Amino acid sequence: MKEQVVCKTTDIQPGEMMESFFGKQNVLICRTPDGKFYAFMNQCNHQGAPLHKGMICGATTEQSEPGEYHYCHKGEILRCPWHGREFDIKNEGRMLANPDKKLPSFNVRVEDEDVIVYK
Amino acid sequence: MPKQIPLVDTDIHERVQYEELLEYLDEPFKHYIQNCHWIQEKHMPYTQPSVAGVDRADAVVPDGRPAGSDLAFMQEQLLDDIGHEFGILTGALDPSPSSMHGWYEMAAALASAYNDWQIDKWLDKDERLYGSVHVAAQDRDEAVKEIERVGNHPKMVQVLLPIDDIMWGDPYYHPIFEAAEKHNLMIGMHHNEPPVYYGKWPRYFIEWHTLIPTAHMKQVTNMIFNGVFEKFPNLGLMMIEGGFTFIPHMMWKMDQQFRDLRHEVPWLKRKPSDIMKKHVRFCTQPSEELNKKDFMSLIEQMGTEEMICFATDYPHWDYDSPHRALPNLDQELKKKIYFENAKNFYPKIPDTKER
Ligand code: FES
Repeated sequence: MKEQVVCKTTDIQPGEMMESFFGKQNVLICRTPDGKFYAFMNQCNHQGAPLHKGMICGATTEQSEPGEYHYCHKGEILRCPWHGREFDIKNEGRMLANPDKKLPSFNVRVEDEDVIVYK
Repeated sequence: MPKQIPLVDTDIHERVQYEELLEYLDEPFKHYIQNCHWIQEKHMPYTQPSVAGVDRADAVVPDGRPAGSDLAFMQEQLLDDIGHEFGILTGALDPSPSSMHGWYEMAAALASAYNDWQIDKWLDKDERLYGSVHVAAQDRDEAVKEIERVGNHPKMVQVLLPIDDIMWGDPYYHPIFEAAEKHNLMIGMHHNEPPVYYGKWPRYFIEWHTLIPTAHMKQVTNMIFNGVFEKFPNLGLMMIEGGFTFIPHMMWKMDQQFRDLRHEVPWLKRKPSDIMKKHVRFCTQPSEELNKKDFMSLIEQMGTEEMICFATDYPHWDYDSPHRALPNLDQELKKKIYFENAKNFYPKIPDTKER
């Protein structure tokens, strides 16, 4: 299979996510506040938690100084429902604490109302 | 989890809601909860660790009740899905009778109600589940009475003592160990809210959680040097949710100290590491991410493959998946860690085919 409609654009509000299927593959479709769509394997690369049960939120960033929090990227960070690892949706699903690790991702495009995942 | 290997999960947290305890409580204790809205105080200043506090976000019961409070959902999400052979319930430490400051009468009543609820709603309802006797251990004599009351239940495998700020090896508590030994029960210790920074809370949860093993190390040291296992040779201690990578350090340190300072604890007839190897077991969770080489070198440093037992800690946020938490070990060792070590430790756990 090369491509598949995984949901409608109206199914996910900006800053939200849902699970879907790309063939047999359970995928996670995320929509960031700028309206863009992203697709990842719906399984955490740590111990395999179902990511759609986690949350989309912001993150305290590396620019924070000791004792002073800097929080941003609201709606762009995916947090795992188990151990809480944070993944940057707009940066290839890279883990904040270890950017060498990223969630396996899929290509996405939008045609009219259709969100299409393709390889 | 490795295929064909049965699992004894040594740490599963079932959760009670206070209103469920009412039918198991006598007056006036029922009245205090029902009409006076009593709940046990908790002290941990951090409730933010993960997506759903200290629970797995996907373990909240679909009807909204807190994680761990429904057997059917636990069966679906954990026991059936993973394929547990046996699981040991350790409570949610909320309430935790032995952690109460004062009002020992309420603590003792709570412990009894909790045990009856646990037997009724969990142990009698799923043959895979085994339980822990909850006691109000600060009131030693009441604790002994409670062990006498429910300790001979065939599915009660240990007496649960929380790790807060009481050192349980103190001779004052030895009657509890005597009663446990009499009923073929082991001691399970699980941290509740140990103030790991010299009696205080650190600024950050990450500091507290990193240092929980130190609270476990204190209890093991205390139990061993107070001679508990010399006095009660059939007693065993399961250290729950403190991890295991500190074991070699503890054994080396205690043995070295013993060589120098034996005169102070002349009742020890064996070196501390030998006592640990025979009497103390450690749950693997929360496991650090070790590769196979590091894991095996740790086992070699322990000098035994029999001290560690797998635990998931379901439904908590730092759950360890039986499929993913440990490196891919050789079959024989896997069998020990996932099944045999716990099975050999708890005398009441049957062989797989006996059920
Ligand atoms: S399984 Fe996702 S953070 Fe561990």
